[in-house]
Order: sequence, then C-alpha cells, then structure tokens
Amino acid sequence: MISLYVGSTSGYTGKTLITMGLGHKLKKDGLRVGYMKPVGILPLKVDDILTDHDAWRIYRALELKDPVPDICPVVLTQELAVISYLKDVKGLLGKIVNSFNRLSKDKDIMLIGGYGSVYTGSYLGVQGLQVIKRLNSKAVIVVKYEGEYIVDYVLQAKKDLKDKFLGVILNKVTEDHRQSADEYAVPFLKRKGVDIIGVIPQDPVVGSITVEELTEMLGGKVLCCHDKLGNLVEHFLIGAMQADRAIEYFKKTRRNAVIVGGDRVDIQLSAIESGSVCLILTGELYPSEIILSRAEQKEVPMMVVREDTFSIAKKLEKLSVRLRLRDKSKVERGMNLVADNVDFSMIYKKLGIKTGS
Amino acid sequence: MLDNFFNPKSIAVIGASRTPGKVGYDILKNIIQYGYEGAVFPINPSATEVLGKKSFSSLLDVPDKIDLAVVVVPSKNVIEVIGQCGAKKIDSAIIITAGFKESGIEGAKLENELIKKSQECGVRFIGPNCLGMIDTHSKVNASFAAGMPAKGGIGFFSQSGALCLAVLDRALPDEIGFSKFISMGNKSDITDTDVMLALSEDENTKVILGYIEGVTDGRKFMEVAAQVSKKKPIIILKSGITSAGAKAASSHTGALAGREAAFDSAFKQSGVIRAHTINELFNYALAFANQPLPKGPYVAIVTNSGGPGILAADACDKSNLQLTPLHKEYVDELRTFLPPVASFYNPIDILGDSGADRYERALNTVLKDERINGVMVLLTPTAVVDVDATAMAVVNVSKSIDRPILTSFMGKQRVESGTKTLMKYGVPNYSYPEEMVSSMNAMYNYYLWINRPEKTYNNINGLKEKAAEIFDEVKKESRDRLYELEVHDILQAYGFSQPKSLFARTPEEAVAAAKGIGYPVVMKIMSPQIVHKSDMGGVKINLISKKEVENAFFDITTRVRNIMPAAHISGVMIQEMVPKGKEVIMGITKDPHFGHMIMFGLGGIYVEVLKDISFRIVPLSQEDAHEMLRETKTFPLLRGVRGEAEADIEAIEKSLLILSQMAVDFPQIIEADINPLLVRQRGEGVVAIDARFTIGGD
Repeated sequence: MISLYVGSTSGYTGKTLITMGLGHKLKKDGLRVGYMKPVGILPLKVDDILTDHDAWRIYRALELKDPVPDICPVVLTQELAVISYLKDVKGLLGKIVNSFNRLSKDKDIMLIGGYGSVYTGSYLGVQGLQVIKRLNSKAVIVVKYEGEYIVDYVLQAKKDLKDKFLGVILNKVTEDHRQSADEYAVPFLKRKGVDIIGVIPQDPVVGSITVEELTEMLGGKVLCCHDKLGNLVEHFLIGAMQADRAIEYFKKTRRNAVIVGGDRVDIQLSAIESGSVCLILTGELYPSEIILSRAEQKEVPMMVVREDTFSIAKKLEKLSVRLRLRDKSKVERGMNLVADNVDFSMIYKKLGIKTGS
Repeated sequence: MLDNFFNPKSIAVIGASRTPGKVGYDILKNIIQYGYEGAVFPINPSATEVLGKKSFSSLLDVPDKIDLAVVVVPSKNVIEVIGQCGAKKIDSAIIITAGFKESGIEGAKLENELIKKSQECGVRFIGPNCLGMIDTHSKVNASFAAGMPAKGGIGFFSQSGALCLAVLDRALPDEIGFSKFISMGNKSDITDTDVMLALSEDENTKVILGYIEGVTDGRKFMEVAAQVSKKKPIIILKSGITSAGAKAASSHTGALAGREAAFDSAFKQSGVIRAHTINELFNYALAFANQPLPKGPYVAIVTNSGGPGILAADACDKSNLQLTPLHKEYVDELRTFLPPVASFYNPIDILGDSGADRYERALNTVLKDERINGVMVLLTPTAVVDVDATAMAVVNVSKSIDRPILTSFMGKQRVESGTKTLMKYGVPNYSYPEEMVSSMNAMYNYYLWINRPEKTYNNINGLKEKAAEIFDEVKKESRDRLYELEVHDILQAYGFSQPKSLFARTPEEAVAAAKGIGYPVVMKIMSPQIVHKSDMGGVKINLISKKEVENAFFDITTRVRNIMPAAHISGVMIQEMVPKGKEVIMGITKDPHFGHMIMFGLGGIYVEVLKDISFRIVPLSQEDAHEMLRETKTFPLLRGVRGEAEADIEAIEKSLLILSQMAVDFPQIIEADINPLLVRQRGEGVVAIDARFTIGGD
C-alpha cells in the first residue's frame, strides 16, 4: 500500500481539487483508491456524523464506501478550537493513525488531504509534517503560483520533508505569470532537484462562485430570479463610473457581477441590459419596481446588501482565495484541468506504481 | 437691529456707473427713482457726476457721514473698499459684487480675507454675490431688481438672487405688498438668523418669508427661529434635499436619516412653517399678511357649486381643520332665504344662481355662529353671478369681523377683476380650493404653535457616570464601535430593561447558561466583526432543550466560520426568550448642522422598507416625544387593533427622552440604535433586545 499526502506551504492553494483529480485518475487506472482528510476545518454533519465539507465532497466524488467517521477523524469545530487553546488536547494523532489503518487495509493507494499548510496544526498536535511521518506518506506540494519567489517555500518544504518529498505542482498560474513560471521558476526548481509534477493554469470557471454562495457570504437578500441563483460569477465589477463607460466594462467582462449603489438606477439598468449575471445593490437601498421587473425579465438575479460598495468590494477581494468546490460543472472542469496538466507517469514512476497500460 | 441697512440717512454707491445696463448704474438709479429721501453719494474715480448726483473719486473724499455703503466694484477691490468703510466709520455695507466662494478656490480665499477685513474694521455686510436690498417703507431700493414692490407686511429674504427677482416680478401685477426684500447672497457675514431677528423687530413686517438652501449653524437657526416664530410667522422654502448621504451609514438610524429629516425636524421644533413650493410660499404669505389667525379648527365653506365644495371638504379632511355643521339656529336662518334645494350643512351650497347679496347674507349668517373660527368662500363663474359685486360683498364681511376669510374664485378671465378687488382689500384669493384650505390650515397650525404651553424638559440626570467610563475606554482603544457587553452596560446604566443573558464559549457552557436562564432561550453569535448577526445566520431563537442548544451552537459557529473565516468568534450569548410584544426601533444619529437627532419607528426588521419613522432634534421635550409617536402612520398599531391590548406607549416616550439625554451626555455618539425595542402591554414596559453604538470625533 502506498500513501500519498497532498500538502501545501500555505492555505487555499487548490489541494482539494487536485486530490479529487488524482483520485479520479488513479481509480480509472484500476487502482483501489482510499482517501482521508486527517483534519477538517469546514464542519458538516451527515446523518448526525461529524465530518468535513471538502472531505465529504471527495468521498462522494470517488464513490467510496468506507465508514464516514474515519474519513475525517478530527474536525475543527468552534468547540474543539476553543478547548484546544484552553487546555492541551491529547490523542488526536493516534485517532488519525487508527482511522488510517482501518481505511488502508484493502487499498492499493491512500490519498491524504492536508489542511492549511504542512506546518499548521501544531497546537492540536497534528501538524502536517508529523502526520506525513506517522503515516509514512510521500508528499506532493501544491503551490499557488504568484511569482518566482514561491521557489523559496518549495525548497524549504523539500528540506523539511526530506525523503518524503515527492515533487511540486504549481497551481492557478495566470496568463500573466505563465512566462515567469516557464522561464525562471521551473528551470530553477529542476536544477535544485525538485520534480515538477504539474503546472496548472488559472481557470475562470473553477475560480467562479455561484450567486447563491455570494448571497450567503455577503448576507444579502435576493430580490428576484430565485431560480437563477446557480449563475456562476467569474468577475466582479464596481459600478461607480458614468453609465456609458460602465457599459463597455460590462460587455467585455465574462460572467460579471456588478456591485453598485442601490440608488444608481442608470448603472443598474446598463448592467442588466449588457448581460451581467448578478447585481449586488449596496447600502440597503432597494431598487425601483421598474428595475426589478426588467431584471426578472432578463433573468438577472439581484441582491441587496447592507454594507456600502467599498466594504463589499473589500470582502470579495478576500473571498477569491477561499472558493469552495461546490458546483458540479466546476468540479468536472477541474477534473479535466488536473488530468491535462499533471504528469501522472512521473507520479507513477516515483511511487513505483505499475498499471496495465 | 440692522437699522442702517433698512433706514439709512445717507447711502454711498461705490462703483456707481454712468453706463446704462451696468449694475453700478441700475442700483444708483433704483435708489434715486423710487423716492429715497436721504443723501446719495456715487463713488466713481473717473466721473464728477452720475445720474445728476455729485460723484466722489473715493469714499474717503465724501465730507458727510454715510450710513450705508453699497459696493459694486470688481471683486479684487472689495477688500480695499471695506477698509475705507472702516476708516469712514461706516458700519453697514451691501456687497453686490460676485466672484467670491461661488466662483472657485481663488474666490473662496478672497471671501475669507473679506470676512477677516470686515471684522477688523467693524463693518457688517450683506452678501457678497447678492442682488441687494429693498425697504418699501423707507423707500430704499438698493438693488438692481427691475421694479419696486408695493408697501406691505411681508418681509422676504432669499439665498437665491434669481428667486428674489421671480418673486418680485410675480408680486408686482397683483400689488402684493412687501416690507423688505433681502437678497442674502453668500451669507458670509449677515446670516438668516440675523435677518430673522431684525425682521421680528421690524414694525412694518407682519410675516417673515425665506428661501434657504442650507444653514451654517443649525442650532442657532433653531434657537432664533423658535424665538421669532412666537412673535411672527416664519414661512420658509428649503431646497437642496437629497438622501444620498445615507448610503455609507452602518446603522438603521443612520440609513434612514437624510438631510431632509434634520431640516424637517428643525422646522417643526422651532415653529417654522414649511412651504414645499414657491406657490405655497406665496399662498401662505398672502394669508398670514392679510388675515387674522383662526382661533380653532372649525371652519365653514360657502360655495355656489357642489364639486369645488367637495374638493375643499376633502382637503379639510386631510388637514387639521374640521368642517362642523352650524348651530340649528343658524341653519334655520339660512333656510329663510336660501332655496330649498340648497345645502344647509357644511359645505354650505348656496347654488349656482346666487348673486352677491345671497353670498353676503349667507356669510353673515354663518359668522353669527361663534363656534366657526374661519370661513372659506368658493365661487365658480356661473352666468348669473356678478363676480365684482360678490368680491365687494366678501370684502365688506371680512372688514367687519376678526376671523379669517379666504376665497377661491375659480377660473381666470371672468374672475380677474373680482380677485383684484379681493386682493386689494386684503382678502387672499386662490386659484384652487386645495390651496385655500392648505393656507387656512397653515394659519391654524401656527395658531396652535404660538398658543402651545412652554415645552417641558425632563430632568434625567445622574445616569452618565458609569457609561462615561465605557465610552472613555472605547476611545482609548481607538475603536469606533462598542462591544456588545459595553452596549449592554450602557443601556443598563440608563435604566433600559434587557433580556437576561449569559456568555458562553463552548456548547457545554451554553447548555449551562441556558439552564441557568431557563428554557426557552435565544442564541446569538458574538464576534466583533459581525454587526448584523441575523444577516449572517448568527441568531437562533426558541431553543427548548439541551440538544437544541448544542445543535444551535454547532450550526451558528460553523456557519460563521465557513462564510467569514477571518472573523473572530468570541462565543455565543444565551438570552432569555422575551415574551411577545410589538417591535419598535429608536436611535440616535448626528446631523452635521443640527447635531444629534432622535429617531423613532415601527416595524422591527421591516423598518427600512416601511420607512415609517419620525425624527426630532435633541434635546427632546415631553411634547416632542409625544408627537414623534403620533406622527408615524403605524401608530394605531401601538394603540392596538382588533381587540389587541394597548402597548406601553408611555414607556416608549420615556425611552425616547432617556435616549435624548444620552445624546446630550455623550456628544461623541455618532450613531446608535436599539432595534428591536420590544414594547409590552401598557404598564409592563419595554425591553431592549438588541442595540449598537458607534462613536467618533471628540
């Protein structure tokens, strides 16, 4: 049995999607794949069993049959968080090992999904590095590519992981950064003996969010088109300019949501007419009936939020780093991205996996 | 006050011109041609004589004493002229010249220098950038307006020169009489309050009319207006109202209070009669300047046609006026001379074939009823009616009584000479019945204002100390928002009942707290980053068991962790479920000009949609609190509908007064609201369920 840990050097790098993609491919190649997430940070109850949102999603995607409580043995609820700061919580690592042992019995390969970075979790006694060591895993490090400087983190991780270090996947590489990755980071890392397992481009669909999720995160009230809350938003625009200028932006930006003051009727109409997929009206100012009926007609969901445009934009800026894989079309797209951009033959070779093909 | 402006013995026009069409020419001409009897000195360095008057090259060359300087020189020379005024001991100036703060940064700098200079030299001035001033009684027309209004009792001041011209032009053909006409311009020295005070002391002014776009010192404005309005009616048209400023506010109260609310409250609390259109401004002015006030709400309508009578009756219904039937004795008297098909009750329809004598007899009969406080006369120009004779008849009746008569002779061509007669003898005529009724109503409201007892202010002292510590602490920590526990303690210090509550960090503690308080309980998320808990799904109510409390703890904290990972969750608050009641909101907001205002509204979470709210500027009197509640449309809900018990209205009023005291005690409060404030049955008081406070400044 082989165990592969998907970790990172910082949070929100796209580990979940990559784990899911790896699992898919391994399964397709005829391996008996198991999965666990030692520490979950998005608590969820399934039939009163405590687990984690991301873990549950992968469990379902890979059509696993193992007992649910083992999939995510440690879930960081508010309760656990508070208690762990007030006194030392013991035995969590043991719990993880036990779950792992049960799950891995009849598997060819176990995928382990890290949480946060490989350095987080010390205060619970379940730091990523510790877990990797105890489970005797190999670790692939996923890095969100934000510029050449990330090579430092990769080298540090390689040093810390020693013989457990498998290689690196550069994720969410934007068009702007592609050249820097190809010309500097990749050759540099190779020279330092780091295997590049994959370079995955930033994808607008994977990076999108549904209107429904937005409503939840912004605490908004949906005013119309309740059946269009599944609309995917890829970009946010702030409607504070003159209407004629605004229309240009609205038209050339794919799947945009417009943040606009509730009293800016001109901008609202322009956005509705030029194909925006969602309007976020700020300042708790409700639109007129004319706007509402036009939005309903054009099937553009609108929500009202309490905060002003500036605060909402600030919130959305933070939001983009912690998008979750919820939507089915996003997941499929993500699977394809992983399949197309990860060098599976290298993984197989390094892990000593032989497949029929 | 301002005597040298209104009644100068000599006037100098600095910048007098010989060229017709120039302002310096027109002003001098106006001063001369409308019969001003004092000395006039044109100042023009390149002329020896202007419009037949000996001209001087400088103010300092004039040997005589000068009371008033009218300045028309280019803006760059104005400061020098003010210096000369000082040297010549002239303490009053009208600065017509434009090119000050209305024209940009350079102008604004110049205006600041001008103010400084005038203070150094002891010169008070009207303007700059104004049209001038007219006093019809002393025959001073120091303006470049075309024409001179008739003598009369209306004193008018206006921030807009253009509006002055329009009003003047409108007044000329009808010979509407004015006492004074003052174009205020930039108001950089003499302000609205100075002029209101001066007009209140002026014997010739019976009613004060104003057009303002804004005030510089809101508190002073209210203080002066309240004082003057007890003496003479002040009617003001205020423009420039928007609610745009509400956008960035973080509390309900802030979002609901626009600049409009501040002015509206300020006018109400200082007895200013508010006109919403220029037409209304005129309508009210005519009534107030010419007729006595109605001493009660009971009015009668005498008409020669049904439809207009009903329109007038409808308008009365929406006002504070009441149409009351005449005493039987007078109804019987009407029957003796009116046709049997006439309508003898109020409105009294004397039919389309009425002539002047029937009008006169009917009016005299109606006025015999002492309970009638005012009469409104309607006339439609039927073929038989003699409009002129009827007008004269109404005038005669009006002369003989000390109760108000207003008329609406409707139409244009056929009633024109009649309406002229009415106006000439001081009976205001209105084109439409609604205008007539609203003018009568304005007079009645003013009557109520001058006869209302002095406001009573409760003395709510000694609550401040405990709260002061908290506010100091918040300031020390450079926060602008108060933590919930702090809000709790402040409300407690000011005597507000609040639900029993206990803080819990874990599910275990939450269950213990719930047990201590007693089921059912409410659970609320506690996080400094979350202001509006329910928006984030951070509130669960009516939890009745250990299991429910545990689940709620998981749900609430998980949800918040998911959607706001950056928020710090301190824990949850377990609160007792307060028994049912009506939800109201009250709050404090701060207007840049008028300071703190108190808001009241009904509707709980729907308050921002319903917008059924009222405002008063702090400090609140008992009467203010009383009126605030009754101003909202939903007030009857508090009284109880369909057999409901009445809510504790007295407790709400008391809470408003306490809030007002809080605002007085702590000027640093920028916004606060208690929402909802749960109102229980009469005698059972109110409970503050949730509240927030924001402070700022000093």
